[in-house]
Amino acid sequence: MRIGIPRALLYYHYYPLWLTFWQQLGLQVKSSPPTNKEILNQGVSAAVAEACLPVKVFYGHALHLAPQAEFLFVPRLVSAEPGTYICPKLMGLPDMLRHAGKKLPPVISPTLNARCGPRAWELAFIRTAAVLGFGARQAERAWKVAVAEQARYTAKLGEGKTPLDVSEGAEDDDRSSRKALLVLSHPYNLFDDFVSLGLIRRLRARGYRVITAEMLPGRVIAEEAARLPKALFWSLGRLILGAGGYYLRSGGVVGIIHVVSFGCGPDSLVGELLERQARRFGKLPFLLLTLDEHTGDGGMVTRLEAFLDMVEWRGAS
Amino acid sequence: MQAYLGLDVGSVSTNLVLLDERGEVISSLYLRTQGNPIRAVQEGLAQVEKEIPAGTSIAGVGTTGSGRQLAATMVGADTVKNEITAHAVAALNELPEVQTVLEIGGQDSKIIILRQGVVVDFAMNTVCAAGTGSFLDRQAARLGVPIEEFGALAERAENPVRIAGRCAVFAESDMIHKQQLGYPVEDIVAGLCEALVRNYLNNVAKGKDIAAPILFQGGVAANIGMRRAFEKALGFPVIVPPYHAVMGALGAALLAKRAVAGRRSTHFRGFDVSRWHFAVSSRSCGGCANQCEVVEIRGEGKLLARWGDRCGRWSNVSVEAAGR
Repeated sequence: MRIGIPRALLYYHYYPLWLTFWQQLGLQVKSSPPTNKEILNQGVSAAVAEACLPVKVFYGHALHLAPQAEFLFVPRLVSAEPGTYICPKLMGLPDMLRHAGKKLPPVISPTLNARCGPRAWELAFIRTAAVLGFGARQAERAWKVAVAEQARYTAKLGEGKTPLDVSEGAEDDDRSSRKALLVLSHPYNLFDDFVSLGLIRRLRARGYRVITAEMLPGRVIAEEAARLPKALFWSLGRLILGAGGYYLRSGGVVGIIHVVSFGCGPDSLVGELLERQARRFGKLPFLLLTLDEHTGDGGMVTRLEAFLDMVEWRGAS
Repeated sequence: MQAYLGLDVGSVSTNLVLLDERGEVISSLYLRTQGNPIRAVQEGLAQVEKEIPAGTSIAGVGTTGSGRQLAATMVGADTVKNEITAHAVAALNELPEVQTVLEIGGQDSKIIILRQGVVVDFAMNTVCAAGTGSFLDRQAARLGVPIEEFGALAERAENPVRIAGRCAVFAESDMIHKQQLGYPVEDIVAGLCEALVRNYLNNVAKGKDIAAPILFQGGVAANIGMRRAFEKALGFPVIVPPYHAVMGALGAALLAKRAVAGRRSTHFRGFDVSRWHFAVSSRSCGGCANQCEVVEIRGEGKLLARWGDRCGRWSNVSVEAAGR
């Protein structure tokens, strides 16, 4: 049996868990290749016009995989941690995809909802495996291995690697002496090199070390998020605000870049909160970069160059 | 005498400024790009060549604007800078204590916040071009008012009407509506200026800490109606510098002067460039699924540069080696 997992959206958070679980059960797992122009075009033409860019990209990946897999794995991710929610567009993803009017293999979409108890994710995976004919014992074993794999991945991010570095097996090159920039965004924007127009590569080429929210321990994010006047229930926004707050308070970076995709609902609020915080502290240069379907990088390059000039100018004065 | 040349190649206008050693303007040019940046740069160079005082040599060249890379390749630039930095440098040269720069050009608008001579924040318009020069041009033409008289007309208004400024399409239909109701054209024109300023302050300048002194730059700054509308909305005097329309080019020239300081040579190819034959071609690279659109520029048959690829397969090719 061959199961396809689109390389888009929360894949960038959870691919070690998802891949390992199905591989442990002996399934052949096929991921789509990194986003390219063809995939983007496919997604844009298939998705509803109102969807945000990352959702359109997801469609493209699913359609790309469709002829190569017997099943598509598209979990309905409701909540990753107790007390939080994932963006509603992602909760509705399997339904949107099924009704895109395209020929697709059956979509497997267990509901992953951490609000239903500490073992909710595990039980959802085991139940799904049961439908495909795997016993509970076998599935439990696969789950344990998958969770360990996910933990190893998280630990690597904690060492200052990006998901791209991990998947490409990049060696540690000593960047610790370099000036650091905090780049905040959802991993599916930032670590999709095509969508982000190579942002991380560009910053590293200019001699900066890139820090992302995933590199901070969950404990720090939780502490910072607790400072907000009201608990933020979007886990992805919490990550961004937590990391932003931490560096605004502690320093250690020379600037902050927030990358959002045009039409993202949660980011329209999270971005505003972050920008206000940045202004209140007033010490670090802050740039809001908006991504959309354009493959032309002119607008982004201009803003980025101006921002880095500003960072260097401030550093010199 | 030595002089420094700045080029600002934008979507609507191509501007050139020639500075002397003390940073004073020798000549400045404002040309329409009209979709052909290569021709605009060549025309500009030819005109500067005519105006340049005898015995003056070009010691440095800087380019900026959305066509900065193309212009730099054509003329041979010593520095290539983004528009924000170029405008900030020019503004600081004009008024060292400046704290806010409002800039409205043909297709885009920006705000730059400075403190103690350093840029601390900036923004550019994103997806909406409402409130930029091209929109004003279009509305002036529709009202039958020459764009040069637009501002003076707005100043004569006694009761500016309220126009919806959130979107160019809405503004236009709102204006037509007000015309049909019989409002005087000067009140509509003044209302439009106020609407555009509101739109700018709510979008581009959203949340920015605007403090005086304020400089208003870009082609639209020539419009006295827009300047008054800004003053009314902000409650501060707004200064329009004498070379407001070419501040980007001025900044690029100043940056060129800095870039060649302590150096004896410039990359400038000479004024002959205005008579060169330039050929630009583009093709879709078939190397991978990204199908990047690669642009190639040749001058007098010689390959000068390539760009547009993501991986560097084309742009990294040594131009000298490839240009046989």
